[in-house]
Amino acid sequence: MILWLRRNPGLAGILVLFAGLYLIYHMLHPRGFTSAVLIQNANESVAIAFVAMAQTVPVLARGLDLSVGAVMTLTGCIASVLVSGTPLEILGGMALTLIAGAAFGLINGLIVVQGRIPPIMATLASGAIAIGLALLIRPQPGGEVDGDLGWALTNSVWDFCDTYGLAQGGAAWWVRPFADLPVPLILLFGTACLVWLPFKRTLTGRTVYAVGSAEAAALASGLPVRRAQLSAYLLAGFFAGCAGLYLAIQTSTGNADTVQAGAYTLNSIAAVVLGGTALMGGRGGVIASILGAFVLRVISFYFRILDIDPLLQPLIEGLVLLLAVSAGAFAAFNVRNRLELMR
Amino acid sequence: MKLAKAAFLLSALWMPMAVWAGPEVVSGPGAEPECFAPWSAETKYLQWPAKEGPYRIALVNGFVGNTWRIQMVKTAKAFAEDPAMKGKIAEFKVVSTGTDAPAQLGAIEDFINQGYDAIVTIAVAPDGFDRVIRLADKNNVVLVPFDNVLDTDAVMQVNEDQLTMGRTWAEFALKELKAAGVTSGKILEVRGLAGNSVDRDRSQGINEVFAADAGPWEMVSVVGNWDDGTTQKVVADAIAVHGQFAAIVGQGGSNGVIQAMKDAGHPWVPVAGESENGFRKAIAEYSDEGLKGISIGQSPGLVAIAMKAAVSALEGNPMPQLISVPLPVADYTQLKDGANFWSDLPDNFFTVNEFPPCGVNISGPAIMAQSEADSN
Repeated sequence: MILWLRRNPGLAGILVLFAGLYLIYHMLHPRGFTSAVLIQNANESVAIAFVAMAQTVPVLARGLDLSVGAVMTLTGCIASVLVSGTPLEILGGMALTLIAGAAFGLINGLIVVQGRIPPIMATLASGAIAIGLALLIRPQPGGEVDGDLGWALTNSVWDFCDTYGLAQGGAAWWVRPFADLPVPLILLFGTACLVWLPFKRTLTGRTVYAVGSAEAAALASGLPVRRAQLSAYLLAGFFAGCAGLYLAIQTSTGNADTVQAGAYTLNSIAAVVLGGTALMGGRGGVIASILGAFVLRVISFYFRILDIDPLLQPLIEGLVLLLAVSAGAFAAFNVRNRLELMR
Repeated sequence: MKLAKAAFLLSALWMPMAVWAGPEVVSGPGAEPECFAPWSAETKYLQWPAKEGPYRIALVNGFVGNTWRIQMVKTAKAFAEDPAMKGKIAEFKVVSTGTDAPAQLGAIEDFINQGYDAIVTIAVAPDGFDRVIRLADKNNVVLVPFDNVLDTDAVMQVNEDQLTMGRTWAEFALKELKAAGVTSGKILEVRGLAGNSVDRDRSQGINEVFAADAGPWEMVSVVGNWDDGTTQKVVADAIAVHGQFAAIVGQGGSNGVIQAMKDAGHPWVPVAGESENGFRKAIAEYSDEGLKGISIGQSPGLVAIAMKAAVSALEGNPMPQLISVPLPVADYTQLKDGANFWSDLPDNFFTVNEFPPCGVNISGPAIMAQSEADSN
């Protein structure tokens, strides 16, 4: 365990930072260390965590995806149309939503890889297209996502079983150990474990890191560079689709909110940096970015507990962020070869 | 046996669900009808079980960063310190979440979990609050959306009647035109943010009044986004294209309307607009030269009414589900420096803050005097 953390200093750092901040929050909260508070925190963090995951993969391959927030908004609007009706229709709607996200990511990848357009330009443009499509689908906020589904997926495992009458309504002995866990966290880490971790071990996955470290060397070594870049953007679209799907289920509606899309894209980059993933690529990982997103959120949790002037809150949030990122930059003092910093 | 045990467990666990409280639908009239006026005759009344004060109240704002929102936050803090409210409020907390729906929902849920008694909020979207409404009901928390209200009748909400506001603007312009002997001509309508329900309702009110009049009136519409700069530009363009208007009815950005008229040398005509201090200064200055103006505003003081309504609901009074706050109207005959506009304060400050029928007497200067670094 210790060895593993030493090999992942970025992950270890953000884990300690998050654990510290979150523990103090619970200690100050009048109902700290209860399932209700954990569920509430999980719900408000899932969408941003998925978007942070989405941003991480292209960044690892020395790219950037400025459309993640927009794709989240678009898939949220798609889900608000499709995710209702019979259980089969709901499942089909969820699958179509995720496919739409992945397809949008694939198109991003094709524009960047085949079109040779810089990722910032390509994804800025495609992000605008995604918002346009979202506005076409939902000119006004609305939609009826299945209410039971919303309640079941935004609560504890017990509530989930109870809503659908599974495992004796959540009373079965084998559900007990997880009964108080929030479903959103299981969805989030489940997706990370089932999609990201296996992908990272494949040749394509390792090539994503190689491209970020040294693209020319990767190409010269005969690694599938283009396939890696394409799958990086495809995964970004897929994770952004997960965020949109969850957002639609959580709010039971779709809303083509341009401002919110922009804020999520910016926050996703902040979360990636906080998680210790290098913006120049090649170093970092998706799990650390999830924790980075959590840290972003935890800072704002404090404003609800402490008495801080409302007009000073954004300033304080910015200062804490700056401090957190600067702490990560201390690693630069330990570098043996200064040339490594110039990379 | 096993089944029976499971069934028993299930029913035991269902118990808390069965006592889901929330408000009861009762018949009116409610408390202080002169302040908490029902939206229409069909508005139902809600009643929560009475709680002992003093109460813990939170304001969950969304977007922050324009004058209106800052003034709203300051009004809320000042009202919490008001002698009429101070004794009833044990704790008052304000957070702004930005335009981020999950963050706003999370903040509301956090205050429910912290055991707050009431939460007032400007919703970032008209939908998607089902979960927090359910939780608020379960925990007997009074949730009060105001200004940007929700598309639901399950919570108590506070707003001004935007349709009536539009109608009042148009009726005033017609009255002044008749008085000046003008019975036909071009009317310039300046609209707000497209796709917004407030813009839709105000525009509908303005247009139906002009359409019902014998006229003939030719309506010209431009979109100013409620913003001074944009409004000034589009009004200047409209004046350049159409020459002269008989009257101008603007939804917002009224300082921009006045500036564009000055720049183009457009003669002063009846103008209807929002409640910016600069607009009222101009009306007071030029009404003798023909700028017959009316100023009606969406008041940042709505937050105070929402807080007062929350306290009244917590005291166990029956409350209208949708509360219509009286429109703060002032025309050129009613403007008085130092009372409903301030010639020594900035132009983009919103003048209407007070609602005497509700005991909300926080004036413009009182708000401006409150320091931004003041901790609550």
